[in-house]
Amino acid sequence: MRNAMLIAGKDLRRRLRDRSAYIVGIIAPLGLAAIFSFVFNPISNSSYSGTFGVVNDDGGQIAAMFVDQVLGGLADSQTGVTIVSVDSEADARNRVEAAGDPSLNATNGLSAAFVIPPGFSNAVQAGQRTTLEVIGSPVNSTSAAIATAVAEGFADEVSAVNLEVRTYVVSGGVVDPSTVSDAVAYPSPITVGDLPAETRRLDDTTTMTVGMAIMFLFFVAQEGVIGLLEERRDGTLARLLVAPISKASILGGKAIASYVLGIASMAVLVVASTLLLHAHWGNPVGVAILVLAAVFAAVGIMAVVSGFARTDEQANTYTAIVAIALAIFGGSFFPISLGGGVVQFLSKFTPHAWFIQGLGDLASGKIAAVVPSALVLVAIGVASSALAVVVVRKVVDQ
Amino acid sequence: MKALAIAGANIRRMVRDRSSFFFVFVLPLLLVLVLGAVYGGLSRPRLGIVAGDGPLAQSLVSGLESDGSIEVTPYADVDKMVLAVERGELEGGLDLPEDFDEQVQQHVEIGFTARDLQEQFELRTVIDRVVAQQNAVLRAAGFASTQGVASYSDAVATAQAEQANVERIDVETQSVGQPYSFTQGGRFDLGAQSQLVLFIFLTSLTGSAALIQSRTYGVSRRMLATPTRMGTILVGEALGRFGVAMVQGLFIIAGTWILFRVDWGDPLATGLLLVVFCLVGAGAAMVTGSLFRNVAQASGIGVLLGLGLAALGGCMVPLQVFEIFAPTMYHVAHITPHAWALEAFSKIVQLHDGVWSIVPDLAVLMGYAIVLLGAATWLLRRSLTRV
Repeated sequence: MRNAMLIAGKDLRRRLRDRSAYIVGIIAPLGLAAIFSFVFNPISNSSYSGTFGVVNDDGGQIAAMFVDQVLGGLADSQTGVTIVSVDSEADARNRVEAAGDPSLNATNGLSAAFVIPPGFSNAVQAGQRTTLEVIGSPVNSTSAAIATAVAEGFADEVSAVNLEVRTYVVSGGVVDPSTVSDAVAYPSPITVGDLPAETRRLDDTTTMTVGMAIMFLFFVAQEGVIGLLEERRDGTLARLLVAPISKASILGGKAIASYVLGIASMAVLVVASTLLLHAHWGNPVGVAILVLAAVFAAVGIMAVVSGFARTDEQANTYTAIVAIALAIFGGSFFPISLGGGVVQFLSKFTPHAWFIQGLGDLASGKIAAVVPSALVLVAIGVASSALAVVVVRKVVDQ
Repeated sequence: MKALAIAGANIRRMVRDRSSFFFVFVLPLLLVLVLGAVYGGLSRPRLGIVAGDGPLAQSLVSGLESDGSIEVTPYADVDKMVLAVERGELEGGLDLPEDFDEQVQQHVEIGFTARDLQEQFELRTVIDRVVAQQNAVLRAAGFASTQGVASYSDAVATAQAEQANVERIDVETQSVGQPYSFTQGGRFDLGAQSQLVLFIFLTSLTGSAALIQSRTYGVSRRMLATPTRMGTILVGEALGRFGVAMVQGLFIIAGTWILFRVDWGDPLATGLLLVVFCLVGAGAAMVTGSLFRNVAQASGIGVLLGLGLAALGGCMVPLQVFEIFAPTMYHVAHITPHAWALEAFSKIVQLHDGVWSIVPDLAVLMGYAIVLLGAATWLLRRSLTRV
């Protein structure tokens, strides 16, 4: 054991002195997470605001109801929504188009506009067909969709009241002055409410930090076997083997060095990203469990991969390929849940996906939520480490 | 002539190295494929739904299923559905109570949850539309029966029969203005252009390790000992880096064109842009290669700068999105050569403009190339003679 610790200590000192451990383990993942969140955050954080124009060419009772109650209600209930009156359809069209071209820097642009045609109120009251026009632009597609949804909602409401009155009359009811207002006041039987759900997702900055951390962990975790291959190239492995040290101590020392480097770099990353990038990793105990399990899995996988290499350079090549491929399919760069089907299925074979899912589950607040993901990571670690012992022994024996 | 030999040796070294083979040839196409699968096909939000087997509940479900803009997945268990939403496997979930058909005669609330605001809005629009249709009939039936003119079930039948006779307000939607360029083009186009720019630069930076290897293996010292002028060696190394970048660039263009039918626009304009951007990449590679002492450092920093500058430069989020949502970011992006190359590509490919339209972008990129290659010549002159 003492020999193993000595070997691990020497390897660790060497990695720290040539500075590559800092760059690969800490600076690169932290720097990339910072840049990614800088790039992606302004977009995901932008809150909605929209100015809707309304052209009232009708001026009747129903048109007033739409403008005052429906649009007025929208402006009151949604922050960021403003309703302005516009004189003509042509003017509305120009202003929506101007807002859709950022190079014009239009000050009176409209996100979308409603046009109420002449005769609208009369047509609705007579139960005749009529139209409500929405002008939108592809750039402000969200606003166009909101405007369409509002107009459709109003159309639905008018149809519903019409059907109420018709059904009442066909069933033999007699229309008196209060019938229509009663019909308007009668509530809709189906309403859509909230279904409570916990958040099992990380915020954007944390997602990127976690993705980069787990990707670079694999580069750090390869140190052990690559160190062994370096010793063989430099001829120091032969000297170790003739010294009174067991093979188990040599392999153990290399493994300890990998675990320590992996855990240390992850620990620094968790703390540094929390302080510098305001990432939210979640409950420290849960994070610790997942980090330990992930390091175990990463060291095992990287040992197997580099164990197949004949030289340290070849090992660097193999491990880089495996680390990048796993990171892509495991969701380090983009959320796997978007891919569906095949991509989601493939991701289940990567430790990255389980690590990210575990942290997502931890965001629900319960430490126990990490257990399934942690168990899968440990299982990957056990299987790959067992295989690694067989493969890496050959490296020592050759 | 000697310079060409040095360049040739560099390119041969790359083609024979298995890791370069993966990073230069396999990875870019793999990413274009995965990105196309992840983002390109993303159109219909997925809604999970839990419902009993009453006819009214089922008609609501079939109404949602027949709406083409969402994808409906039935769930038997609310908890499983909510977990799927929480994990992002569904964009939203809808829960109808077991006794929906009984409750609906008075009032029933159905539970809805969605992952984020955008998805909530998209799904909610569809749900509201389908619910409104059913509401119209049931509300009319409820109204008629509470007014005492018919029984509830008779009123439902009457309302269903009358529904076709009610004239509706048609909502006409008009679109004005030009769609933005990133909303046009093929599923893989934008991905392919960004990948091309990202990878040429990334491979150049990580490939700078080759310069360090030349030094540590003693190749540089041996070259200097031959009757070869320093200038020739520098030109050779630069040509080598440039050649590596060109090989990869041409491969990505040809590969994506053949495999994914990506449109690359006017060959002359695209060719010029590729050459100039590869010169920038070569310059960046020479600078990093001369600044770092060992391969691990250079590749770590190479990945950091290669991916970081690409993200800033609009390879991961389209520049047009910056322009709309974060104008400052749009200006910051133009510090990177990536942004200029992507602007030029959008002119060539999306707007189908010819070579003249990209002259300003080419000039800026040429400026980057000259500055970087100039700096590299000075730095490398010092570092080649260092051990």
